[in-house]
Amino acid sequence: MLEDVYVIGVGMHPFGKHGASNRTMSYTAGKAALQDAGIKFRDVGYLYNGYLGGDPIEGVGYAKDLGLTGVPVVHIENASATGSSAFREACLQVAGGGVEVAMALGYDDIVRMGKRMMQTHMAEGPKVEGMVLPAAFFALWAVRRMHEAGTTIETFAKVAAKNWNHARFNPMAQRQADHEVTVEEVLASSMIAYPHTSMMACATGGGAACAIVANKKWAKKLANGRPLVRVTASQLASEQYVDGHIFMGAVVGPSELTATTTKAAYEQAGVGPKDISFVHVHDAFPIEELMYYESMGFAAPGEGDKLIHDGTTALGGRCPWSPDGGLIARGHPGGPTGLAQVWDSTLQLRGEAGKRQVAGAKNGLVHMMGAGSVCAVHVLSRENA
Amino acid sequence: MAKQVALEPGYFTVPEDSNELPRLLASYSKSADKYFFPRRPQCPITEEPVEDVQLSPEGILYSWTYVQMPFMGSAQMGDGKAHGVGQIDLPEGVRIQSVIRGKMGDWKIGMPMRLELIPVKKKGETEYVTFSFGPINK
Repeated sequence: MLEDVYVIGVGMHPFGKHGASNRTMSYTAGKAALQDAGIKFRDVGYLYNGYLGGDPIEGVGYAKDLGLTGVPVVHIENASATGSSAFREACLQVAGGGVEVAMALGYDDIVRMGKRMMQTHMAEGPKVEGMVLPAAFFALWAVRRMHEAGTTIETFAKVAAKNWNHARFNPMAQRQADHEVTVEEVLASSMIAYPHTSMMACATGGGAACAIVANKKWAKKLANGRPLVRVTASQLASEQYVDGHIFMGAVVGPSELTATTTKAAYEQAGVGPKDISFVHVHDAFPIEELMYYESMGFAAPGEGDKLIHDGTTALGGRCPWSPDGGLIARGHPGGPTGLAQVWDSTLQLRGEAGKRQVAGAKNGLVHMMGAGSVCAVHVLSRENA
Repeated sequence: MAKQVALEPGYFTVPEDSNELPRLLASYSKSADKYFFPRRPQCPITEEPVEDVQLSPEGILYSWTYVQMPFMGSAQMGDGKAHGVGQIDLPEGVRIQSVIRGKMGDWKIGMPMRLELIPVKKKGETEYVTFSFGPINK
């Protein structure tokens, strides 16, 4: 990067099945981020809108609610990595010196999107390359891991329960349990694709999240006594061929994609797993979090299960994973999810995350997969103003 | 008997002889010595040309799951409420993701599986089929 890039403002509209319109959610999150940064929309030099399955013109239309400033507006769509990709483009725009301040704004409602997709699917009729549900695809990973590493269904349930309980401290999370969620509850919920139960599956709903990035001059000017949050790595990659590559039916590519993209992010940021204070991942199902313990370098191959059993990845542990509840409990509308991860990471690094605060958070690792498939990995680091 | 036709062309053969097994249609890259399914316009590794080939109809089950939803919305599999999905390794080094026939408890990683065609819709006297795999001993 030519210019150092900093997150100067974040904001969200709560995730959930509240039925709020995309317009309302995008305005709420965008306005909250502007207020958090302490700037006006006229200060934003570039806007990247991230949403899935909506009207192609809605992003530029909703930007008018924030102001008619002449700002360039671009629509980004990259499956579940849409928000992460919008964030990356905003970072690159600032890093390249094109503008001093850029905004990434993600929103949508996966329930509305799913209904539209199903209508299309039913109207067109069955296809050979038929719809494979993410629940089925990741269940194939899970059954294979049970075979190879001896992982139990209880271990999957423990990952899910952890993330449900993290979300209890996140006011923006979709799943807000009024009690400590137990492994037994997760196991007793309905089976959707063996070994995954409904409480292991990511929450589906709508929401919005926004992050504003800027160069160091703006970040320092707006710090107002808060630590700076620097984007020390930004990586995005698509699949490379591996033995056993599946071209038809795979929701995402081989798990090696996460390993190689994370390795590139570590190298760019000059950090390793031991330097990371917390991690956000694409935990659509618990199997992903378990596999990423290993592919992101936190455990040796086949030994990732230990991290959930010894509490390493729970709040209060050495390196909490999905401290905001993750996809499983915070929720996973495609457009804003990557930006919700940046929202939580920024609050964590500033020390503003309340009851879910990771003590002494210094570096956050932020990972998203997008169907098709792509992998986005960012490292955010605390820096004194 | 209804005439069987591929749901879409280019993915598998539909043998006229009922004693003959269907085959998946794939690409072979001589430059990479790799097979790919479904067919590719060029080798995804070397960017060199590929040739059309047919894959072996039998392989080994790599993983499986049982999904509590009907297959393809309208098509009925098993009891109509759920269906199996599996990944099968073929001798050519290709991993296929496919619907698998059977019910919970029928599958075990490492078991031999065979390609078969299954109906997904019917129009007049024409039965449209797609491919699936199932345990060889069933």
